[in-house]
Order: sequence, then structure tokens, then C-alpha cells
Amino acid sequence: MSTGTMVLLALLILLAALFLFGAAAYNSLVSLRNGIRNAWSQIDVQLKRRHDLVPNLVEAVKGYAAHEKGTLDAVTQARSKAAGARSLADISKAETELTGVLGRFMAVMESYPELKADGSFLALQEELASTENRISFARQAYNDQVLFLNNKVQMFPSNIVAGMFAFRREGYFELEDKTQRDPVKVNLG
Amino acid sequence: MFWSVIQANRRKTLLLIVLMGFFLILTGAVIGMSFAGGRLLEGGLAGAGIAALVWAALLLLSLYASDEVLLEVSRAREVSRETYPQLFNVVEEMVIAGSLPAVPRVYVVGDPAPNAFALGKSPEKSHLCVTAGLLALCGRDELQGVVAHELGHIMNRDVLYLTVAASMLGSLLLLSDFFLRMFKYSAIRFTARSRKAGPAAGVLILLSLLLAVLGPVLARIFYFSLSRRREYLADATSARLTRYPEGLASALEKIGSYPGAHSAAPAVTSPFYLVNPGRQGLAGGAFATHPPLASRIRVLRAMTQGAGYMEYLKAYLTATHGRATLIAREDLRDADRVEIRPPSGGAPAPSTSDVRRRAGEIIRAINDFIFITCPCGMKLKLPPEFAGKQVTCPRCKREHEAKKPDAGSFSGALRTQAAMDRDVPGPTRGQDVRYEPGKWQNFSCARCGHPYEISPSFGGSRLTCSSCGSIIRFAPGPRAITS
Repeated sequence: MSTGTMVLLALLILLAALFLFGAAAYNSLVSLRNGIRNAWSQIDVQLKRRHDLVPNLVEAVKGYAAHEKGTLDAVTQARSKAAGARSLADISKAETELTGVLGRFMAVMESYPELKADGSFLALQEELASTENRISFARQAYNDQVLFLNNKVQMFPSNIVAGMFAFRREGYFELEDKTQRDPVKVNLG
Repeated sequence: MFWSVIQANRRKTLLLIVLMGFFLILTGAVIGMSFAGGRLLEGGLAGAGIAALVWAALLLLSLYASDEVLLEVSRAREVSRETYPQLFNVVEEMVIAGSLPAVPRVYVVGDPAPNAFALGKSPEKSHLCVTAGLLALCGRDELQGVVAHELGHIMNRDVLYLTVAASMLGSLLLLSDFFLRMFKYSAIRFTARSRKAGPAAGVLILLSLLLAVLGPVLARIFYFSLSRRREYLADATSARLTRYPEGLASALEKIGSYPGAHSAAPAVTSPFYLVNPGRQGLAGGAFATHPPLASRIRVLRAMTQGAGYMEYLKAYLTATHGRATLIAREDLRDADRVEIRPPSGGAPAPSTSDVRRRAGEIIRAINDFIFITCPCGMKLKLPPEFAGKQVTCPRCKREHEAKKPDAGSFSGALRTQAAMDRDVPGPTRGQDVRYEPGKWQNFSCARCGHPYEISPSFGGSRLTCSSCGSIIRFAPGPRAITS
């Protein structure tokens, strides 16, 4: 075997290794991006679920607490605003508001013992609690996926492949009721 | 996700399969030789061949049918969403939190002792079982913690390894039992044959006897020496998914102090459970398949800084004298900070008698009991044999037709726990009626609608409804309200 063929062979092996690495990095980027889309659609489904739930909840409560009109109207309004939101920022804002309004609404309903004995209200309450949980878990899952993708997009060497195929950093989905959030205590001891 | 644990479980499963094959074929060959008289080679080959076939059959069984077998052994009944909405909601929440590819099928075991287990080789196709006692005992957050713990086992592929190990252990025990019988049977002719075959046969018989005795012992030691680390790791997954370590901690505490007799779960399936179904209590023994409950609770309660894996590891190190290798470094690399969420409000903890009653209700429901709520407030609970028959309410003598419940449904008997409590009839629950003394007033019993009139001279505080037997309490107030 001459030196020429040896060099050629070495080059070929190097190229093949590079190609394999590139393919693996590309595939993992694609699967992360699909994961993000999947997580987002999950959030979307749960937000819709909540929008569908609110009118039923208001209807169930009306018979018992008709004089809480202010609270009921606030819930209905926040719901229609959230259902109409289109951009990520708008959705984020409107849904945060809806979460807050619903929290207050449920707190007010706590003072109606008759409601707590109503089977259909209890079922709706469980559905609402579950939906709130789902939204928050779906948000966490989405943000986890975003973190993984962003790490890949920024870190060497996968950032080269990401740059070649125009993978970009994604934004996090924030949905927090800032007023309810306790300050994070950091213990350095 | 604990990628290193997933890899390790896959590797261990493969190793176990190969080792078992080796062991089975060797044993088969030895058995074959010891029964072949002088023709050692033919006998050994035949024995090895049969053993290889047994091995292949076992492998297929343990990989493709073991879930169904184990579900059958545990007498688990698949339930539908309508039967227990909260359980399904919690499972779906955890599937979302863990980004699992599919929702597991949900089963309820008619056992009053609180426990849970999961089956399934991969998250794509898995089964989740909880006992009636667990449903009766746990509130929402606690149920969530338990469900997340079980999903953690599925995600970490602990169940894959356990399932294969359980089938292999079962087969070993079966085989050695069969072997011992064979030996006992042939021992009658032992003296006659040994003269012909010479000392070789005697040695082989001794060896095979040794194997037969050691087999089950080895299997048991191996089985019970299963890493207890998996339970801590599943707890860590639970804390991470629920973002609320206190949920699982409180569930474990309740289970640990459950006073009733513990379940009669088959010994082979004990490692699958959330807590060891046999001996209970907060301490663990040397041969325990699970770490002591008390230290699991201590670790979860020590998580005050967050709900992530890093926080779990820190809590584990402070609460026990364990090693930092509990979670591999590579698995901690992607661990992000997860804040602990506030508890979800729910019904207050039920009393012990409430738990018993609820558990009984759930067990009756999964056993296809027929529930009829009579207009008089009496709730009839009929065994499935009554389907299609006419029954008479013992309290008001109304006639009812016992309709068979739809397949997989609890005939609407079980909704949320709170709604269940409301449905309880009889003198344990009452109704309050306010009245203004010194006036004529009308009201009707809230349960059966029987009309009553209070005279101006009425001054009582309690009345048992003459029609349905429920208790009506009276309190002086501005106006009569029927609740």
C-alpha cells in the first residue's frame, strides 16, 4: 500500500467519522425539537381543556352563589380573553391572569358549604384541579425540553450542526402568578 | 431520567438471561447424564437440549406474557375512567410531567391493605395497579406521589429487570422441585443401578442433588439482594415529577402505620410493590426487598430546597448515611432546579373507619356488586348473583330491579372520594334544619322528601325521619331551610 492510498484511506475514515457525528447530532436536535413541539401541543390541549371547563363551573355555581356576580363575571371575562389570545406573549399573560382569577374564585367558593355537597360541582372541582396541574406539569416538561435544546444549540460541538441547519434557541413558557410566588431561599451554609 | 440506571437495568436483564440459559443448560446436562446410566454423552446432550427448549419457552413467557400472568396472580381488575376519575387524572398528570409516550393501563386490586405496583417492560406499554386500600387512604397529593413513584420504576426500567427476574426465579423453583421429586422417585432403584454404572453415577447424583438444593437458595438470595437503591431512585423521580416530596412522604407514613392485616400478595411479586406487602412497619430487615420506610420518609422530608434530583441527593446524604453514588454523576448533569409547589387543597384526612368503609366500597365495586340507591336513602349493595332479579328494600319495602352494571364500570358508585362521602345514607350523616321557635313551619326531609310540620311549641333538637331513618337536627334560626 503506497503512502497516497494510506492518506486517502485515512481521509475517508475521518470523513465518515465526521459524517456519523454530524448525523447523530442532527438527529438528536431534530428529536429535541419534535419533543418541544409535542410538549407545546400538550400545553395547548390543556389550556383548551380549561377554557371548556370554565363555563360549566360558572353554571354549576350560579344556583348557589348568584350574588357573587362580580367574581363570576371576572372569571368569564378572563376566560374569553385567554381563549382569544394568539401570540405566545399574549397567551402567557392571559393564562396567568386566568389562573389567578380562578384561584380567587375557588377560594370564594370555599365559603359555600352547600356547594361542597354538590356532586357535579365536586366533579368539576376535581377536573379543574387536575387541569391546573396538567398545565403546570406540561409547562415544566416543555421548559425542560427547551433547556436541553438550548444547551445543544449553544454547546460545542453540536452548535456547529445546529448552525448549519438553522436550529435556534427557543423561548421558555412562563405561567406564574407572581403574587403567589414565594421568594426563593438560598442556603449557602 | 436516570439514563445510567436504564442502561444498567437493560444490561443486567441481558446478563441474567444469558446466565440463566447457561445455568439451565448445565443443570439439564447434569440431570440428563445422571439418568442416562452408562451413555453419558447422549444423556447429557438430551438433557441440555430439553433445558434449552425450557429456557427459550421461559424467555418468551417472561418477555411477552409475564405482565398478564402477574396481573392475574395479583387479581387486578382493569378499571375505566368513569370508575375513579381522580386516579385517572393523577395518572395522566404524571404522564405529562414525565413526558411518557403512552398512558399506562390502570388497575385496582381488591385488597384493603394500601399498596401499589407497576408492570411493563417499557413506558410504551405499561400497567399501573393500586389497591382499594390505597385509594381509600390517600388524598390527592399522596396518590400523585405514589403514582409518580411507580411511573419512576417504569421509566428507569426497573420493572423490565424485575419481571425477567421474577419469571426466572419462578422457573428455577419449579424446576428444582420437579428435580427433587424425580430424584426421590428414582432413589428407590438407586442401589440396583449404581452397581452397573459405577461411581460416576453416584457423583453425578450427588452433584444434581446439591444443585437442586442450592438452586432455590441462590435464586432467593439473588432476588432479595436486588438493589434497594431502585426504591430511593423511584422516590427521587416521584419528587421530581410531582414537585411535591411531602405527598409521597405522607403516603408512605400512612401506609407504614396502617393498622390492618397486610395483604396476602404472593411472595414472588413482593419486590414489585410500593412497600413490602409482607412484614410491615417502618423498619426493614436484612433480607428486605425494600429500604426501611422510615428512612425513605426522612429523605423526602429533608428536601426543603427544591424537588430536583440534586436536592434529593443532598437530602439523602443528610438523612441517611448513604453514599453520594446513589445518583450517578452523568445523571445529575441535566438535573435542573425544580421548585417545590404548594400543596393542592383537598379533603381533610379521613378517619380509620372511613378508610375501611371506602376500601370495602371499592372492593365491592370492582367485584361487580350492584349498587342501588333507594329513594328512601337506603343504599343497597348486592353481590353479582343478584343481577336481573327483583329485590325489596329492607327499610321501605320498595321493589327494585337489580340491573347488571356495564362492563368495566363501577355503575357510578364511585366518583370522587368527596362525592362518595356525600352518598352515604343512614343515621351516620344528618341534615340541619333551622327553625324559628314559636311559629308554625313546614319542611320536608332532604333525603326522602317526607313532609313535616313544626308546631309553635316545638323545642326538640333531633328527629329521626320516620320514612327513611336519617337524622334531622334542629337549630334555632331566622327561617326554616331544608338542606
